[in-house]
Amino acid sequence: MQGGCVDARDEEFARLVKQAKAGDTAAFEAILGLYERRVLLTALRLLNRNLEDAKDAAQQVFLRLHRSLGQLDENRHFASWLYRITVNVCRDMLRARAQRPTLSLEEAGGGLVAAAEDPVRNEQRRQIYAALATLPERERTAVVLRDLEGFTTSEAARIMGCAEVTVRSQISNARVKIRKFVQRRPRRPL
Amino acid sequence: MSCTKFESLIALYVESDLAESERRMVEAHLETCHGCQEFAADVRESQTALKELRMDFVEESALQEVRAGVLNQLRTQRKKAAWPWYAVAAMLLAGLLAGWLWRARTAAPPEVQPRAAVITPPTLAAVPARPQRVRIARVSKHHRHPAPAFQSEPLVVKIVTDDPQVVIYWLVSKNGG
Repeated sequence: MQGGCVDARDEEFARLVKQAKAGDTAAFEAILGLYERRVLLTALRLLNRNLEDAKDAAQQVFLRLHRSLGQLDENRHFASWLYRITVNVCRDMLRARAQRPTLSLEEAGGGLVAAAEDPVRNEQRRQIYAALATLPERERTAVVLRDLEGFTTSEAARIMGCAEVTVRSQISNARVKIRKFVQRRPRRPL
Repeated sequence: MSCTKFESLIALYVESDLAESERRMVEAHLETCHGCQEFAADVRESQTALKELRMDFVEESALQEVRAGVLNQLRTQRKKAAWPWYAVAAMLLAGLLAGWLWRARTAAPPEVQPRAAVITPPTLAAVPARPQRVRIARVSKHHRHPAPAFQSEPLVVKIVTDDPQVVIYWLVSKNGG
């Protein structure tokens, strides 16, 4: 996984989890601080950059986490567990959102800030987000977990709760579709 | 295997997601197929663009909103969770209070009010033909109860009959009233 991975195997983190399980609010806040950025970022990607939905989803993720901390197995990979909650919450949200009008990609897209202010790269970035938005939910989740969050295929399968071979196929399909989308779309004049 | 079938393997190959045997098979095909080489180059390019999204970050204000929302909800939940305990504590307190009041009422010494009914002294005519055995005892001082009706200390005459249920107190004031 990308970025300084902090998980339950880390001694200090394991202590934080133990304290949070015992009802220590400060420990829970510390866990929140460690993971809020990644959870919100993942939710934004899974929810097609709809910031309001992503903020709601991130809140629900941490509330669910707080509620079910007692069920967390000490040997279980904390990050995978948290991502599983995130994926489930976002899936529920997408289903609920299907009942109401959606924002266009241009209307959405708040919250995420490009690291560089390069117009060519920004256009490319916009196209990739548009491509991600066209994918079926399972394929988008698979490719976000594997290519953006940096999980292995087997970890992504565990998070999504399905067979590794299924996730491999979803990742492959998604990559082919993204490539087609990027090739097909005419580049907008800068 | 057709090139179309190879495409799905190439999409995995570019990110090293294939098993060793599959990787060797794809590499052998790529050596001879120009179209699949182009396809692989395109997928690599789009993958590079996709992975650049890893560098995106979220606005600090959005993170603060999430954090504040979570902590507020937890505080509200804690308050809600505390209510049943407050209710139980209040009920226990009310029960204890009621019990104490009930006990205080039942345990209070009953005020012994001599049945100071005004009894007219029996006349001889009222005495039955075969009088019952009547014992007249003078009540000791500590059994006397002050009766506001008497200005001076009254004389209490206790008349015990054979029937234990019937005890007659005769109050006579010293001035003969």
